[in-house]
Amino acid sequence: MSTHSQSAKRFVADAERLAWHDRALYAVREKRDRMMATVPEWESLRRLSSELKLHTLSHLGDYLCEFERNATANGMTVHWASDAAELNETVWGLIRAHGGRRLVKSKSMLSEECGLTPYLEARGVEAVESDLGERIMQLLHLPPSHIVLPAIAVRREEVGALFERELGTEAGNSDPTYLTHAARRALRPKFLDADISMTGVNFAVASTGALAVCTNEGNADLGTSFADLHIAILGIEKVIPDMKALGVFTRLLARSGTGQAVTTYTSLYRRPAPGREIHVILVDNGRSEWLADARHRNMLKCLRCGACMNTCPVYRRSGGYSYSYFIPGPLGINLGMLRSAERHHGNVSACSLCYSCSGVCPAKIDLGEQIYEWRQQLDELGLADRTKKLMVKGMDFVMGGPPRFYGAIALGRVAGKLPRWMLENGLNPWSAPGRAMPPFAPRSFNAGWKKEERK
Amino acid sequence: MNSKEEILKRLAADGMPESPYPEMDFVPQRFEAREAVFAERLEAAGGRAVRMQPGETLDGVIRRCYPEARRIASTLPGVTLATVDPDAVEDPRELVDVDLGVVRGSFGVAENGAVWIAQDIRHKALYFGATALMIVIPQDALVDTMHEAVVRPEVDDFGYGCFMSGPSKTADIEQALVFGAHGPMSVTVVLRGEN
Repeated sequence: MSTHSQSAKRFVADAERLAWHDRALYAVREKRDRMMATVPEWESLRRLSSELKLHTLSHLGDYLCEFERNATANGMTVHWASDAAELNETVWGLIRAHGGRRLVKSKSMLSEECGLTPYLEARGVEAVESDLGERIMQLLHLPPSHIVLPAIAVRREEVGALFERELGTEAGNSDPTYLTHAARRALRPKFLDADISMTGVNFAVASTGALAVCTNEGNADLGTSFADLHIAILGIEKVIPDMKALGVFTRLLARSGTGQAVTTYTSLYRRPAPGREIHVILVDNGRSEWLADARHRNMLKCLRCGACMNTCPVYRRSGGYSYSYFIPGPLGINLGMLRSAERHHGNVSACSLCYSCSGVCPAKIDLGEQIYEWRQQLDELGLADRTKKLMVKGMDFVMGGPPRFYGAIALGRVAGKLPRWMLENGLNPWSAPGRAMPPFAPRSFNAGWKKEERK
Repeated sequence: MNSKEEILKRLAADGMPESPYPEMDFVPQRFEAREAVFAERLEAAGGRAVRMQPGETLDGVIRRCYPEARRIASTLPGVTLATVDPDAVEDPRELVDVDLGVVRGSFGVAENGAVWIAQDIRHKALYFGATALMIVIPQDALVDTMHEAVVRPEVDDFGYGCFMSGPSKTADIEQALVFGAHGPMSVTVVLRGEN
């Protein structure tokens, strides 16, 4: 059994929650389909988006330098960080130079990737998540289980109980509107009193040196409205050539991810307001090496919309915490393998190879095909499952000639007559609770065919 | 070697084949009833579009749409109902939770109900801190899609700008849609004709 199916046991045990999770995410996928139907040129847009990303990646160094030049001319300060440690140190350096301990932050998967929040907390900096879903997860002391819908695995009653404890809301009230507005009130002072604001970045436009930040809640923009230091962090693959490219990506991002025509706010930060500072940190943390991997460099085309998770039958039925990497689903399986095949190869089993993810990706990333490719690479990486390797060797022998093959079938028919307890136990890799071994047909197709012919 | 040089060196050695800048090989969708599509998509995003009636003033639209609003912040000429001059305020925190902000937008985008706002007030806090926001755009300032929007002259030079589509929202609790997550609970786009 793969590490993914082991970890999924807890999630799967709660049948009601599983069914809800599955339906809720598929509903988002269906919203995406309805949005797609309103854009006749949808497939051409996806192709253009994919080609734009490929072009940018093939000139990434040039575009990063162009972005730096223009952003600097606009009055921003640009920093480069080779890895997670350097990102964290750079942020800490900026905070120390600026002063203050209160940081309000909007959603950033990069900060999760680099462990920024715990790093800052260890240094006495309170980094408050301001996206509602992220805030729920922060108060629960749990990581997000989806990159766009962080609290998708949390039920309203659990949020009600959490807010009753943390924010003093009415006992037993789990109405989403009531709870959302309670969070709004509770977070107001965190925005107003913050010394520093931090945001992720969806797109960094090289030609204008502008940062595009997309949110629905307006939390990123509210955060940057009061604090006089804005730290924006982004992976180097987030740079795009120009505004024309921004037009293409903003048509696809929210339609694919949440089934909205566009996010409520697509904010462009170009020049810091008078007396304010914007510091941009460009983070590599493995990306430049992944780009050198011809088989898997496509992963860097990702817009982080989450569509591949919403559509994935395995993700929907196993939840985000069943994966060993902090990003789950088809995207996370692939990124985890790039990060460390040794630590995360258990996730490659969490795929039925239905390729639905590849079909919905707005950058046309071949996510499913790459998972298949990773499985082929397991042996050369020395990570192939020994039992499976042995079985394949056995199959190779059995299927090596007709006598062996038919002999094995005859044996199988005998095995089918064995008592259930001998077949359905932990020694049989095909056996699992709730799944009965299928009975063998009374005779093989070949035998039946021959008998018919004789008639 | 510093980190920038290291990163650039690794990128230079990534062995990636050259991919040309792609040409757009399709004609983006057009809307015959552009204003109707804009209004419909804005409504889908939780906002509403209203047309200024002949002879109507901005004050009139404010009273029509937000009769309850008391603390109103605006720098727009013609908004005599404004009780707060947002540009005279030193601390942007004072603009938080005003009942209504009335601000200028440049143009709307039919395909998604968004309005481009290039910040022309002192504190952008008003856009996000007001309980309700009214955005005034010229009636004929509508484009079909984002392709046209991002190359408009108004999006060419700005300090801070935002494509805003309806009120602040979230569905983070069980996918139930709630307006007013952090920003405005309500957004009205006023299409202003020549009066």
